Amino acid sequence: MGVRLGRLKLANPVLVASGTFGYIRELAAYVPLDRLGGLIPKTITPRPRAGNPTPRTVETPCGLLNAIGLDNDGIDHFIAHHLPYLRTIRTAVIANIAGEDEDQFVAMAERLSAEPGLAALELNISCPNVTHGLDLGVDPTIVRRLVGRVRRASDLPIIAKLTPNVTDVTVIAAAAAEGGADAVSLVNTFKGMAVDWRRRRPILANDIGGLSGPAIKPLALRMVWEVQRALPNLPIIGIGGIWTADDAMEFLVAGASAIQVGTATFADPGAAGRLLEQLPAKIAELHVSRVSDLVGTLRSNREPDPVPPSVEPSRRIS
Amino acid sequence: MAQDTYRIRLEAPGLAARIRPGQFVMVRPTLGLDPLLGRPFALYEVVRGEGGEPWAIDLAYLVMGRGTARLAGARSGDRLPLWGPLGNGFGLPRAGVRRVAMVAGGIGQTPFVALARWWMGQERYGLGPQPGEPWVEAVRLYYGVRTAGYLAGLEDFEAAGVEVRLATNDGSAGYRGYVTELLERDLESGWRPDHLVGCGPEPMLRALQGVAGRLGLSCDLSLENHMACGFGACFSCVAPIRAEDGTVDLKRVCVEGPVFDAARVEWESGEAARGL
Repeated sequence: MGVRLGRLKLANPVLVASGTFGYIRELAAYVPLDRLGGLIPKTITPRPRAGNPTPRTVETPCGLLNAIGLDNDGIDHFIAHHLPYLRTIRTAVIANIAGEDEDQFVAMAERLSAEPGLAALELNISCPNVTHGLDLGVDPTIVRRLVGRVRRASDLPIIAKLTPNVTDVTVIAAAAAEGGADAVSLVNTFKGMAVDWRRRRPILANDIGGLSGPAIKPLALRMVWEVQRALPNLPIIGIGGIWTADDAMEFLVAGASAIQVGTATFADPGAAGRLLEQLPAKIAELHVSRVSDLVGTLRSNREPDPVPPSVEPSRRIS
Repeated sequence: MAQDTYRIRLEAPGLAARIRPGQFVMVRPTLGLDPLLGRPFALYEVVRGEGGEPWAIDLAYLVMGRGTARLAGARSGDRLPLWGPLGNGFGLPRAGVRRVAMVAGGIGQTPFVALARWWMGQERYGLGPQPGEPWVEAVRLYYGVRTAGYLAGLEDFEAAGVEVRLATNDGSAGYRGYVTELLERDLESGWRPDHLVGCGPEPMLRALQGVAGRLGLSCDLSLENHMACGFGACFSCVAPIRAEDGTVDLKRVCVEGPVFDAARVEWESGEAARGL
């Protein structure tokens, strides 16, 4: 079940998405943490952030709209309080970081690289609920430069978490690859809103938020597939409405080398563990032994079937 | 139980053995994807088998939206995802507390049947220490609803020996007006509890906080902030809470509450409260 994303090696392809798993300890009672392929705590920023006023979340059909606003206690608190706990978990821990500008990303990457116990950095250049995050992630020039600078500042593998709120995600993914990203996470949430027409107000205090959950799975799958087709050598971590092992298989064949379970955890705290348990049997159905043998094997309906393998017993030729 | 108000019994022996009054569970009303999220419900009562072993929990709820409407349609034998016990719950009664006023608005009475029975020594809850002698001697429930049709569970309070004082907005039962006004009138006429607890809509909790502050009474409030996960991962349910050193920080109601000392609860949320 082991997978490789650039320089990052994981024991299996099942990770949990930043912002949906707290600081990991909150889920210790529900999921066998050290069995997961990787753990990504909630986004950290250079300074403490209070986040947005409430209501911060609202349920929508098969989905969740959120505008938490990167509520967190900052990198100092993360290093002092959360990292010691995270180091005790025997699996890959990937810190998710967000700065307001490139310099802040670089400074955070330098500090975290000096700390033992992290497997990689995931750059949140895609949060729709803060002023600067989205601005960075929609501009390929900035993404290329930002990823490049972080890559030079850190020895850790770099994952760029991309926003789907762009016309062509392959352009942004290509920029991340050119900057030296080991992988891209596809996708963060889709900008959306929920309306209370009687009050004539948006329901979220922040007016708009990011949509996640099963509602976005088809959108995320399409984007993973597009990026895999455009950039076959760029490892992808698929995210978007993944709840079951079947969902995970869809993302793997569409081009993701690994997946993140996100909103499903809110609705089913044991979801990631159950998915992991059920995944080997699904992989076995495709008669492959390694996950990498099925990644990106999805074929367009406009392409012919591959030549079926011979069913005859092999004959000795000489 | 009453207008739009239902009681559901969920078989969950492990949970029933551990849960304490004021704690809650998240229940997803369907195995499907819509509605997506669980809903938080306070413990109403633990149900014991013939041998006295806890085997189920009862929840009482008001149908307010798609989730609770779906739950009301659940049938005996259905399997529903649930997780808990969640939250801090109420603690043991503070030393010296003999008379308690429990103040409830809307569906906020639901944690108080179990709490009254626990503090009066009629029932044990959870695995931790239980209240020692002497027990709380008297509990009064101050219970306010819009109109009499919503009054739910009065017989359960009466069976526990709780004196019930009612208020309705339309005067259809008890005092006409807010339940906190009724409490203040009783306090003025000389009845004096040692401790207050409150659960209900924010305006009622704010009023109760004011009463407690004016009279110097200790008071615990159970907050009902909107939640998505119930276990501290989503950061939806934050409330500004004042620490001992006077600083205000956003606390997750689901894991650091839902019960807070009223003297610590602030009401303005967001950046302003935290001074960032």
